[in-house]
Amino acid sequence: MKKFFSLGRLFLALVFFLMYLPIFYLIYYSFSSGSRMDGFKHFSLVHYQTLFADTRMISIVLNTLIIALLAALISTIIGTSGALAINRAKRSRRQLLVLNNILMVSPDVIIGASFLIFFTFLGVQLGFWSVLLSHIAFCIPIVVLMVLPQVRTMPRSLTDAAYDLGASRWQAFSQVTIPAIAPGIRAGFFMALTYSLDDFAVTFFVTGNGFSTLAVEIYSRARQGIDLEINALSTVMFLVSLVLVFIYSRFSVKGKGAAVK
Amino acid sequence: MTKHNFGRLFFTLPYYLWLLLFVIAPLVLIFYQSFLGLDGHLTVQNYLTYARSATYLKMTLNSVWYAFLITAITLMIAYPLAYLIAQLKRRDFWLALMILPTWINLLLKTYAFIGILSQSGPLNALTKALGLGSHQLLFTDAAFVIVAAYIELPFMVLPIYNAIVGIRPSLINASLDLGASRVQTFWRVIFPLTKGGVEAGIQAVFIPALSLFMITRLIGGNRVITLGTAIEEHFLTTQNWGLGSTIGVVLVVAMLIVMLLTDGANAVKKGGKRG
Amino acid sequence: MAILKFAGVKKGFGDTEILKDISFEIEEGKFYTILGPSGSGKTTILRLIAGFDQPDGGAIYFDGKQINDLPANKRQVNTVFQDYALFPNLNVFENVAFGLRLQRMKKRAIQLRAQEALALVHLGGYAHRELDELSGGQQQRVAIARAIANRPKVLLLDEALSALDHKLRKEMQTELRQLQRQLGITFIFVTHDQEEALAMSDQIMIINEGYIEQSGTPVDIYDEPLNHFVADFIGESNIIPATMVKDFVVEINGKQFTCVDAGITPGEAVEVVLRPEDLDITTVESGKLAATVDSQLFRGVDYQIMVHDRDGHEWKINSIHKTTVGKEIGITFDPEDIHVMRKGESQAAFNARLASYQEVDHDQA
Repeated sequence: MKKFFSLGRLFLALVFFLMYLPIFYLIYYSFSSGSRMDGFKHFSLVHYQTLFADTRMISIVLNTLIIALLAALISTIIGTSGALAINRAKRSRRQLLVLNNILMVSPDVIIGASFLIFFTFLGVQLGFWSVLLSHIAFCIPIVVLMVLPQVRTMPRSLTDAAYDLGASRWQAFSQVTIPAIAPGIRAGFFMALTYSLDDFAVTFFVTGNGFSTLAVEIYSRARQGIDLEINALSTVMFLVSLVLVFIYSRFSVKGKGAAVK
Repeated sequence: MTKHNFGRLFFTLPYYLWLLLFVIAPLVLIFYQSFLGLDGHLTVQNYLTYARSATYLKMTLNSVWYAFLITAITLMIAYPLAYLIAQLKRRDFWLALMILPTWINLLLKTYAFIGILSQSGPLNALTKALGLGSHQLLFTDAAFVIVAAYIELPFMVLPIYNAIVGIRPSLINASLDLGASRVQTFWRVIFPLTKGGVEAGIQAVFIPALSLFMITRLIGGNRVITLGTAIEEHFLTTQNWGLGSTIGVVLVVAMLIVMLLTDGANAVKKGGKRG
Repeated sequence: MAILKFAGVKKGFGDTEILKDISFEIEEGKFYTILGPSGSGKTTILRLIAGFDQPDGGAIYFDGKQINDLPANKRQVNTVFQDYALFPNLNVFENVAFGLRLQRMKKRAIQLRAQEALALVHLGGYAHRELDELSGGQQQRVAIARAIANRPKVLLLDEALSALDHKLRKEMQTELRQLQRQLGITFIFVTHDQEEALAMSDQIMIINEGYIEQSGTPVDIYDEPLNHFVADFIGESNIIPATMVKDFVVEINGKQFTCVDAGITPGEAVEVVLRPEDLDITTVESGKLAATVDSQLFRGVDYQIMVHDRDGHEWKINSIHKTTVGKEIGITFDPEDIHVMRKGESQAAFNARLASYQEVDHDQA
């Protein structure tokens, strides 16, 4: 028993080490004064200087953030209304859920390729708008899936109580329904943000020449070989991720507390 | 009555528009496109080209084979991993630590492997130190499988972990109480109850593994061609959208088969807490 | 004067008819209980009064005005929900003040009213607590305070005590009764618990399968159940098929007994009710029936004794005296302990029959 356990611990330690190895490998070399990911030269912040002086890169980072925030915001609104609609639909609920989940299970290339056909068919210029619309589109189902359980577990009596106490439809919706499902909405917004920031394949298909997001930019640079500016960028992004995860965990803990009846 | 129904419709209209424009329409369009030849006329030529060409069939089989390998490897690592994490005292923390790397853009993680797997990278340094000599690791089939498995691992761990944690402790106690050993309890109670999680994990890994194209380009060189790579090439390089769509339809069919075989979403509930 | 009136109300959901034909009147300032098994339609009646659902047929009047389609937020009725339905994002005070804020009352007035409501349910010091700091019983009180803070004319309570444990429940029954007297408004309480109904109400309405089976004071309903369902549902009972021989004589299991019922056709098949606590154990010689004791259960206040008589019929007896299993005993009862029920007799017909042979006018509400 004891032996098995220490074996288990060893396995755990090894897997966790390997999970984080590539990330710390990237970070480590971001501080090397060399230009390759082997043979650490000496400590230097030169790649960070290049990164922060790289206006093209900075504008791409801003593009990515704008797309992610807008896509998360809009998809959260549409997705929440979708979750409420699905919950209300009695007969067609199953069919609606299946339709909703199609984009969740479709491979990225299929989404990317079919959206490309769709935009071309409509004559939409590829660029900011096509990317934004695509991101909203693939974020909506995840928001629905995060909000729906909250809507379902919300007792019907809660809105009845609001009407009973004199609330109008809008008052019941804004003062009771929305606060009650807020943890789901927050989680949905956050997941949408993550999906958007993380997307490469769909954007790769529907972006034009003039517009690029971070993932697409990294891809095109990485195809040309190693560039330690990307390492510096990963370090920054890793830190941002940590902060985001921290905020998210705070949110969800708070959400749990509020959900106690 | 009618007034608030109208308000409700207005409120949910964007969602239904999304279903129509971004779920149904693109699927219909890609299906339609797969029947369009290069000249823009309706034809089944794309399907004939696909079915008659040894290259495409071989590529499809290859792609399925690689996806299978990636899924099998992640499953073999993920199951014991999920089980061990579930036994830990601060299991939520360790799970979060497991999931954290998925928050880092997968392009960056893939990019890291360009360094790690390179001729003068740490992996080769290790094999050299062990006296195994240096090898060309980057741009090989193995490199592609390793990196893909690395990226997909958390997506396999999560559903399995949830299934394990969802088993009510009383079930395990009942099994021990009825005279089963720990090993018997595992095979007769825990494993069957986590089957749903395993199936969900397979779904979550196998389908993306079929269609990864970015890793094949960066790590596999152009040696490994998957269905995803082929679609990307036809759409963005050779501009043969018809044939690309045909391969897309094949991918969708493959996806549907996997989903039918692993009805994961429904199976998870069986081991669920509510019981 | 009737504050609330149902006239031939019907309500169904999909293909199932929940309420088939419901008519009643509710007076101001009384404690009413709607009692019935689950699925009988009692909660549906409450939802129609509150305005969450609209009737399919018939009419609902409030203060003399027809309110069939008046939305819930415009009715002077408030509800205490079975699951309390407290708003999880608001604390105790904000929950109680919810309805008052919607009326755009002045801050000070809200403060006063909410505090007053909380004091009425003995939660004066709890205004700034969060909901998850409260016990189930306290949450229940918040739900009541929130409903009465709006000063409704009628307060609806939907299975309001069913989530509480036995002891707390008994306490809350007393408190609710007191609260109703203090406020002087009408309470309509829905429950499936007949003991609770008997203990709290001025008037009980028994609902089954979409119809009102009987309504009246607790004593009337207990002593004079109108039919098999009511007799069986309220309290414990021995219900036995019997034949009316003539006025004041009924034949039970082939033996004739004196009773106090009359006005029934001789030879008519009826049912008689004998409450277990009205049956007394005596010696075989002095008993009206001889029986053998089959089992005996101690229940704290009394013993529940099951016996069978010489013809093999089973009887249930509640007695504070102990007996011995297997012993031969005698059973005795008085003529007024026998209550005869005609099959399918309506409440009005029953009252008329009663009046026809009783000098004392038996007034029924």
